[in-house]
Amino acid sequence: MTRDSYLFIGFLLLFAAVNAALLATGAIAADWTGFGVILAAGLTLSLYSFLYKDNPLYKFVEHLFVGVAAAYVLGLVWYNTLLAEIVNSLILGEGKDRWSLLMPSLLGALMLTRLVPRIAWLSRIAFAFVVGLGAGLTIPRYISSFILAQMEPSLRPITWSIEGLNLVIILVGVVAVMVYFFFSVEHTGVVGGVSKVGIWFLMISFGASFGYTVMARLSLLIGRTQFLLDDWLHVMK
Amino acid sequence: MLFLTRTLPLVIAFSCGVLAIAIYYVPHSAAQGMEEKLTLWLRIVAAFAYFLGLYSLLNLHWNRIRQHQAGWGYSVVAAVGFGLMFFFAVINDGDGPFAPQAKQGAYQWMFDNVQVACASTMFSLLAFFISSAAYRTFRARSPEATILLVAAVVVMLGRVPIGAYISDLIPEAMLWLLSVPNLAAKRGILLGVSLGAIGTALRIIFGIERSYLGGGEE
Amino acid sequence: MKALDIDRRIIFIFVFLGVAIPLMVDFTLPIKPTPPVIAAYDAFEKVAAEKPGSTILLSFSYGASTAPEMQPMARAVLRHCFRLGFKVVAICLWPDGVGLAESVLAEVAEEMGKKEDVDYAFLGYKPGTIAVILNMGQDLHTAFPVDSKGVSLAQLPVTKNIHPLTDFSFVFDFAAGDSIEFWWIPYGQEKYRFPFAGGCTAVMAPDLFPFLQSGQMLGMLGGLAGAAEYETLIGHPGQATEGMRPQSVTHLIIIAFIILGNGMYFLSRRSSGQATG
Repeated sequence: MTRDSYLFIGFLLLFAAVNAALLATGAIAADWTGFGVILAAGLTLSLYSFLYKDNPLYKFVEHLFVGVAAAYVLGLVWYNTLLAEIVNSLILGEGKDRWSLLMPSLLGALMLTRLVPRIAWLSRIAFAFVVGLGAGLTIPRYISSFILAQMEPSLRPITWSIEGLNLVIILVGVVAVMVYFFFSVEHTGVVGGVSKVGIWFLMISFGASFGYTVMARLSLLIGRTQFLLDDWLHVMK
Repeated sequence: MLFLTRTLPLVIAFSCGVLAIAIYYVPHSAAQGMEEKLTLWLRIVAAFAYFLGLYSLLNLHWNRIRQHQAGWGYSVVAAVGFGLMFFFAVINDGDGPFAPQAKQGAYQWMFDNVQVACASTMFSLLAFFISSAAYRTFRARSPEATILLVAAVVVMLGRVPIGAYISDLIPEAMLWLLSVPNLAAKRGILLGVSLGAIGTALRIIFGIERSYLGGGEE
Repeated sequence: MKALDIDRRIIFIFVFLGVAIPLMVDFTLPIKPTPPVIAAYDAFEKVAAEKPGSTILLSFSYGASTAPEMQPMARAVLRHCFRLGFKVVAICLWPDGVGLAESVLAEVAEEMGKKEDVDYAFLGYKPGTIAVILNMGQDLHTAFPVDSKGVSLAQLPVTKNIHPLTDFSFVFDFAAGDSIEFWWIPYGQEKYRFPFAGGCTAVMAPDLFPFLQSGQMLGMLGGLAGAAEYETLIGHPGQATEGMRPQSVTHLIIIAFIILGNGMYFLSRRSSGQATG
């Protein structure tokens, strides 16, 4: 047996021993809730085993998660939309209003023809509806909320104060960043200089994003560690 | 046949797109009623789209199992996980699939103890790798990299209580970095992205961009 | 230099200890709320003063993968909302947020003696993202004909008189992805101009500062730190406040690694420069 096999067996034995102790002392209840905590802890530690190296236990749990997650969403889609709106309203419901659901149901069914190669061309009708409508909904709203609503605060009157200075910096930064992303003109001379300023602003922004990303990932690790130390092992104060 | 497979979808995309733009600018109740109807249709069609993704996932794993490709045993695990959760969804805590979704039961139990545990653990793994990457590769090799590094350190220190404990200037500097230069850069990116999105939307409406029609014979 | 090629598992151990030890050792660090969080808190207070007992909308747009960041935030905001006497309508725009939203609603409602259907309602999940928001803009009852238990919205005391989005006195989105930036602002707030604020994962937070300055968002809670600041403001420290201890320590560890790595790098460059020169 290899070293990794010994480690694997040792891990399983230790896990079993810890859980037996927790159940014996009553720290974890011997019911479905308690079993759920033990299962969640086992899955968590199995996934963390990837930090040692990629291994079959990690892959097993990863694939189990994929299957469970896919079926979970299927359940939600069925109960929240297909059952509630199509089955209960259109098929089993009463009144004329329900017939307005017939057309989208047919479009949805057309979308599924994509899975049958001989009639997959029918799905283009459904996709054209979704994509065309989505594009039309996007244009005026993006103009209003992203272009106009974002340009206005950049062009506010400048005052002789710290706030005024900040507004100048914001205006310079917005223009410089947009010049940087304008690749139709060669970045030399004045354009190159402004583009360089844009890069500095982008670097500050990426640094801020990196700092926040570190914080986000650590927060998730803190959450899982809280679960392991408190909900499972009960060693936190 | 070309009319049905190519022209008709383009006409539909154009009509729906122009209609959606027109509705936005027409305050009449008929236009608002039409918007409500169209978005309801969009919502229901979106629910069906899920099944395409589900088929793709199940088909991938089924082919792996059938052809005994490398790692096909794991595909069996994925299929078992799917089957088990599907079974619990159908059982619906004893009420069956035609009653409203139960709030208790095995389906919820699996979500709480399998899905939540696995999903949050998978993402938390990144904390370790980001730390390792920070040590091994985050270098002040150039002035731009130095700016990035300094900004990252200021934000990391300023965002946690220990930063204020060390000095009040650290959270002040962090706030200024976020609400002035970071804001400027993000706004510049947002303006560029939205102009690009509007351009792409116009190309779709006018039939220049047709990649969404992929699939099926011409 | 050999130190630059250190086995990454040693770094992993430092990070894990930096998280685990502060969780088991009790020490306090003062948490000072930042302006975006204070602005969100003040926005809720202002609406409560102007429209007491009104109905607000909470949108849960996060899933299990970001639960450790978002659940403490949701708890804190929900406690504040119930304390201010708001009626709460909760929806999900992410599929795997349903179980999480239900559990946090049930937990905080029980803690604060609030009753489902009378003080709050959970409408469940609907696919369609922007289409759901546009539908709600016209009529909530079209977007969500029934609640998560299958009861018609027209029969629930909380929702029977709520129709367009403007009937809500406040809308708050808990976002793990770009639901604030690319769903709620362009398809909701832009047209209907309701008071809007949001809480997001720390990854998304830097992207939302332009919307704070433009007034499209009244306030923002960013990540676990934002949740901890909100807990401080409402005077109810919880999981997020507890998480600030390991967060602080691990940030210092990572900064130390960055400084150490750069120090080693520059030393190795100088020594290789001297060797060739």
